Amino acid sequence: MRPTHPTRRTPALAALCAVLALTAATTAGCGGDSGGSGSTSLDLITGVKSDPFYITMTCAAQQEAKKRGVKLTVNGSAQWDVAVQRPIIDSVAATHPGGLLISPVDTAALTPSLQQIQNAGTKVVLVDTEVSDASIGVSRISSDNEAGGRTAATSLAQLMGDKGSAIVISVKPGVSTTDARIKGFTEEMKAHHPGITLLPVLYDNDLPATAASQIQSTLAAHPDLGGVFAGNTNTAQGIATGLQAAGKQGKVKVAAFDAEPDEITALGNGTLDVLVAQDPGAIGRQGVDQALAAIDKKQVTAHIGTDMVAITKANMDQPDIKKYFYQAAC
Amino acid sequence: MTAQAPAPVKDRQETARRPPVPSWLRRVAAANETWTFGVLALLVAFFTAARPSTFLTRYDITQIATNAAIYLVLGVGMTYVIIVAGIDLSVGSVLVLSAVLSAEYTIHHGGAGSGWGTIAVSTLIALATGLLWGALQGWLVAKAKVPPLIVTLGGFGAALGAAQIITGGQDPAGAVSGKLQKTIGFGKLFGQIPWLVVIAFAATLVFGLVLAFTRFGRYTYAIGSNPEAARRVGINVDAHLVKVYALVGLLSGLGSVMWLAYFGTTSIAGHSTDNLKVITAVVLGGASLFGGRGSVLGTVIGVFIPAVLSTGLIIMGVQQYWQDVAIGVVLVAAVYLDQFRRRGRDHG
Repeated sequence: MRPTHPTRRTPALAALCAVLALTAATTAGCGGDSGGSGSTSLDLITGVKSDPFYITMTCAAQQEAKKRGVKLTVNGSAQWDVAVQRPIIDSVAATHPGGLLISPVDTAALTPSLQQIQNAGTKVVLVDTEVSDASIGVSRISSDNEAGGRTAATSLAQLMGDKGSAIVISVKPGVSTTDARIKGFTEEMKAHHPGITLLPVLYDNDLPATAASQIQSTLAAHPDLGGVFAGNTNTAQGIATGLQAAGKQGKVKVAAFDAEPDEITALGNGTLDVLVAQDPGAIGRQGVDQALAAIDKKQVTAHIGTDMVAITKANMDQPDIKKYFYQAAC
Repeated sequence: MTAQAPAPVKDRQETARRPPVPSWLRRVAAANETWTFGVLALLVAFFTAARPSTFLTRYDITQIATNAAIYLVLGVGMTYVIIVAGIDLSVGSVLVLSAVLSAEYTIHHGGAGSGWGTIAVSTLIALATGLLWGALQGWLVAKAKVPPLIVTLGGFGAALGAAQIITGGQDPAGAVSGKLQKTIGFGKLFGQIPWLVVIAFAATLVFGLVLAFTRFGRYTYAIGSNPEAARRVGINVDAHLVKVYALVGLLSGLGSVMWLAYFGTTSIAGHSTDNLKVITAVVLGGASLFGGRGSVLGTVIGVFIPAVLSTGLIIMGVQQYWQDVAIGVVLVAAVYLDQFRRRGRDHG
């Protein structure tokens, strides 16, 4: 039995839908009202299933889909791995969904699979990450990472009182998102905060132990160190440990990306000082809207950059900031 | 292992003309550790001269030692394994698995606010996990005759995978008791020496002495030099191998407790290159990958050379990429010097 797109509602068809709902990964417009896009099915494939960023994105996309009266099926890779994600894409392709929202885990390796699904008539929307082939996808929605880097710089400079040295400790060179964040951070610091000396970037290869020793060495060489911009959570953890061991926690301000639950905890207890949160919820909502617009042959925006917001201990209790916290579950 | 071979002929001819070199000095010069210690001393002297106001003053020896403590504990176990001509690629993953299992216990028994009872049990869980995993790998090497490279490569992936299954790939929150962090992680003995350093050096001292002066240590060298000969003189080689791999597992478990205390999280993704770091240190310390040679003292020096090098280069403001180049060059150069000296001695 192959899932089809029901265009007319009959009792028999409704029964068929119920069976399909149990057997296939996707069904279309079974139950609920049948307004506008009611007969459309969407699929969402995230990068890593367990990542709070993607969980938040998924929750928002599901809400939006419910509001618009369409069925959204969610899949995600267990790991950030092409070999894991590709079979998922291929199995989703077999169900011929109306639209596919996907966070590809590789910029090139998934292009053939996505090309195939797109040629079969599915509207593909790239959310969060992208592929380099520009012909893939009707719309691409992601955070503006350079703007995020600038936000981090502004916020950190403010906490540092616009003086002292600052350093970026990142994971590894050659990762497009973190490179863009560092670029934005560096530009903003150089352009608008001349009182701050920016030290050369260090890389810790995602090893907290390395970050801890790097921050202590940097402290020794530059006693006026006032701020650190951490590439990811592991790095931020290592930096915080290094600062605590050196008795400098709170004196050296630490900025990090994302707003995962443990980072929020760290912000609350003073381990971290600034979090630059992306808006995965907006990415998920926009993804659903753009996919439906493409299916309904309405106007589609090719590129959407979502906002980022700086969270500090001072503003973390405000409701309009709290909505940026990532969720561990819907 | 201190080599006690007679001084080369050339040396003897020279000493006949010059005032005689005291025999203790010749013995010291012939020891492997002397040369690697020389490299370390040279690096320290260089950085101290280059940045006298910073190196070893503001950034002092306890900070270097704290950051090296966990690698040192892993390195002591690795020294034993390399001396028996084995290798253990799984140390970082076993550390993660031990940390995760002990964290799971902590989370369900009080979390960050838990007391000493929970800390004691979670510590035991970490040590037992490491010990059992190590013993299993040892059994596979000794009894099932699977090459250690393969066994521990499999163990490297399997232990990490198991840790990810348990946690869903995310570092769990509330993994460590705040008390453990405050005392062991950031506390200092007599307000001077960080507890992490005390633990690392205690483990180093105990297992260094065991290797140098006990029957267990002598068996380790004997098996590494010639397992068949060891078997013929009545050493239970298989049982000894299991013990050696269990020991490195146990020390990985100890490392995981130290990690949790210091970093306060399991850092599942942060241990993929621990094995290479530790093997580098052991080899820098003069151990032979073909077995039979190595010492815990050498490993201590081997852990400190990259630590001093990378902190020194950061303090001097050298671009990061050069650090990896420098550590690579020092590794190859140190081993080359060692071989060169050894060849000269063997021919003399």
